[in-house]
Amino acid sequence: MILDFTTAAYLSIALWASGTMLSVASKRAPALQRPATALNLGGSLVMIAFIALYWSALERPPLRTLGETRLWYAALIPLVGLLVEGRWKISWLKYYCMALASFFLTINLMHPEVFDKALMPALQSPWFVPHVVVYLVGYVLLAASSVSGWHNIFLTWRKNNTPQNDALAHYLALLGFVFLTFGLVFGALWAKDAWGNYWSWDPKETWAFIAWLIYLGYLHASSSRVDRLKLQWYLALAFLVLLVSWFGVNYLPTAPNSVHTYQQS
Amino acid sequence: MTAKGRTWFQAPWQYRESALTAITATAFGFAVQYTLKGTGIDMPQWPLNGVSLALLALATLTIALAFRRRPFVQWLGGIPLGLSLIIALALISFIGGMVPQGIEGSPLALRLGLHAVFSSWPFALIVGLFLLNIGLSLVWRTVPFNIGNLQFILFHGGFWLALACGVFGRSDLERLIVPVYEGRSSSHGMISGEGRELRRLPFSIHLHDFSIEEYPPEILLYDPAADRFIMDESQTMTEIRRGVALTWKGTRVEILDYLPSAMPGADGTPVAAPTAAGIPYAMVRITGTGAQPDTWISTGGPGMRPYAAEVGSRYLIMMPGSPKTYRSAVTIRGLDGSSREALLEVNKPVNFAGWKIYQMGYDEASGRFSTLSLLEAIRDPWLPAVYLGLFMILGGNALFFWNGIKRSGVER
Ligand code: HEM
Repeated sequence: MILDFTTAAYLSIALWASGTMLSVASKRAPALQRPATALNLGGSLVMIAFIALYWSALERPPLRTLGETRLWYAALIPLVGLLVEGRWKISWLKYYCMALASFFLTINLMHPEVFDKALMPALQSPWFVPHVVVYLVGYVLLAASSVSGWHNIFLTWRKNNTPQNDALAHYLALLGFVFLTFGLVFGALWAKDAWGNYWSWDPKETWAFIAWLIYLGYLHASSSRVDRLKLQWYLALAFLVLLVSWFGVNYLPTAPNSVHTYQQS
Repeated sequence: MTAKGRTWFQAPWQYRESALTAITATAFGFAVQYTLKGTGIDMPQWPLNGVSLALLALATLTIALAFRRRPFVQWLGGIPLGLSLIIALALISFIGGMVPQGIEGSPLALRLGLHAVFSSWPFALIVGLFLLNIGLSLVWRTVPFNIGNLQFILFHGGFWLALACGVFGRSDLERLIVPVYEGRSSSHGMISGEGRELRRLPFSIHLHDFSIEEYPPEILLYDPAADRFIMDESQTMTEIRRGVALTWKGTRVEILDYLPSAMPGADGTPVAAPTAAGIPYAMVRITGTGAQPDTWISTGGPGMRPYAAEVGSRYLIMMPGSPKTYRSAVTIRGLDGSSREALLEVNKPVNFAGWKIYQMGYDEASGRFSTLSLLEAIRDPWLPAVYLGLFMILGGNALFFWNGIKRSGVER
C-alpha cells in the first residue's frame, strides 16, 4: 500500500496538533482561522484516505475488528467537532474530539492490528456495512455529547455555563440516540437473516440494549422536569455504559457465550 | 422534581413513588421466582397468548379512556413511572449481561432465576408494567388524533408492538434442525437441545449438492514452546500464493509453488488432483535462520497427514483457509405438491409455506468434503407484527432526527 498505517497515523496526529495550535493562535490573529481549519480537516482526510486504501487492500470493508473501527472513529469524530464549529460557532468541542481521535490512533499504534482477510459467512451480508457504520456514527455523537456534558459540568462549577452549551450536549445525545436505534434495529433485522432470530439476548445484544435503554432514560428525564445539572452528569456518565457495550463486553464473564466474539482485538 | 412538603403517596405521585413501584415490582418478581424454586414464566402458546395480549390491550384501552382524569391513572401512564421502569429494565438486563445465561450456577442464583433472567418473573412483571405504561400514554396521545403526536405514536406504538409481540409470540416460535445428506430428502426436523425430539415438517427438502468455497490457506510460524503463532514482520496474515515472500526475524520464506488441490504422487511429490479429493500444497524455500532444502508443506485433510517444515525450534505450517461460503442446492416440496428450487446460503434464507429455511452448518470434521448439510427451518408467526413495530420505531426516529434539527435550540 502507498500509505501504511504508522505514517498515516503520525501524519493525522501531526495535522491535528498543528491545526490545534493555529486555532488557539487564531483567537488573536483571525487570519489564521482558515489554515487552522484546513489542517484539522486534513488530519481526518488522511485517515479517510488510509481507510479507503486499506479497504481495497483487504478486499472487504475494514469494519470487523475493534482496531479497524477505531480508524473510522478517529476519522469521523474530529469532523463532528468541526461541523459543530462551522454550524453553531462553538469551537471548544473540536479540541476534545481531536484529542480523542489521537488517543484512538495511539491505541492502534501501540497494538499493531493483525488483519485477516477472511470474512466469515455470517458477516457477508448487505447489512454489515450499514449496521456498523450507523453504530459508529452513533458512538461518535454520543462520545461528543459526553465530552460536552463534562465540559458543561466544569463550566457550571466555574459559574459560566450557558443554556446554549446544555442544548448542544442534548442535541448530540438526541442525534446519537437516533443512530443507536437504527443500529439496534438493523442488527435485529440482520440477525434474523443470519441466525434465524431477531433477538436472542446474546451478551453483545444485551449490552447494546442496556446502552440504548440508558439513553432512552436520558430522553425521558430531559422531557420531564429534571434538574439540568443532573442531566449533564447523566450524559457525561452514560457514555461509560456505551463503552462496555462497545468493547467491554469482550472482557465480561458472559463473553464466551457470545456469537459476536469475532469482534475481538 | 419532588414537590417540597409533599409527603409520600400524596397525589400527584412523582419519581419517589415511581422508583419505589419499580423496585417493589422487581423485588416481588424475585420473591415469586424464589418461591417457585427458580421456575421461570412460561408463556402459553397460540391461541392463549393471543387472548392474553388482547385482554391486556383491552384493559389498557378501558383504563385509559374511562379513568383518564384519575391522578393515579395519570401517574400510571406518566414519564416518572416510565423512566423508573426503563432503569429497572436496564438493571435486570444488566444481570443478563453479567451472569452467563442458560447454564448451571450456584443453587441460589439458579433459584433466583439469574441464569435465565429473560424468562424470569421480575423481567415479566417489569415488561407488563412497561406495556401498561406506554399503552396508557399511547391511548391518550392517539385519542383524539393529532398529527403533531405522530412521532410519539410511532415511537411508543412501535415499541409496544415489538415488545408485546416479541414477548407474547415467543412461545409460538418453532426452530427445527434438518440434517440432509447429498442425494437424499428429509421431511423431519429436530428440536435442538436435550431430547432431540423429532417433528414432522409440512414439506420435504431434497439436497442435490452441498459445496464449500474456502479462503486460500494461510502460512504461519508456530512456536510450540509458547503455543502461539508468530506474525511475520508485515503483521499481516498472508494468504498463500506463488511468489509471496515473508520474513520473520532472520528467517525468510518464499513460496515457490502452490497447488490449491493436489494428492501425493507415487514418489511423494504432490500432483494436481480434482478439488473434490485434493488438499492444498505449497513448495517453500527457507533461507537465513533454519535454512534447509526446498520442501513441500500442506494442510492435511481426511486421510492425509499435514506436512510442516521445522525452522529451528519452530514450525512453518499451513492452515486450511476458513470457509468463505457454503451452500446447499435443494428442492423443497410442499404437502400440496407445490415445489421450489433454492440455493441456501448463510444470510440468505428462503421462504416456503410460512417457514424460513436457513443454511446452518455442515459436518465440520469433514470440512470441505462434507456431504451433510445442516439446515434449519424456522416458523415465527408473530414476526410481521414485530417488524411493523420495529419499522414504526425507525420511522419515529427519522422524524425525531428531522424535528431535532429544527428544534434543537442550539441556534441562537
Ligand atoms: C422507542 C423508544 C422511545 C423513544 C424514542 C421515546 C421518546 C419519548 C419522548 C421524546 C417523549 C416526550 C414526548 C413529548 O414530550 O412530546 C416521551 C414521552 C413518554 N414516554 Fe417515551 N420513548 C420511547 C420509549 C418509551 C418506553 C419504552 C416507555 C415506557 C417505559 C415510554 C414511556 C413514555 C411516557 C409514559 C411518556 C410520557 C407520555 C405523555 O407525556 O403523554 N417511552 N417518550
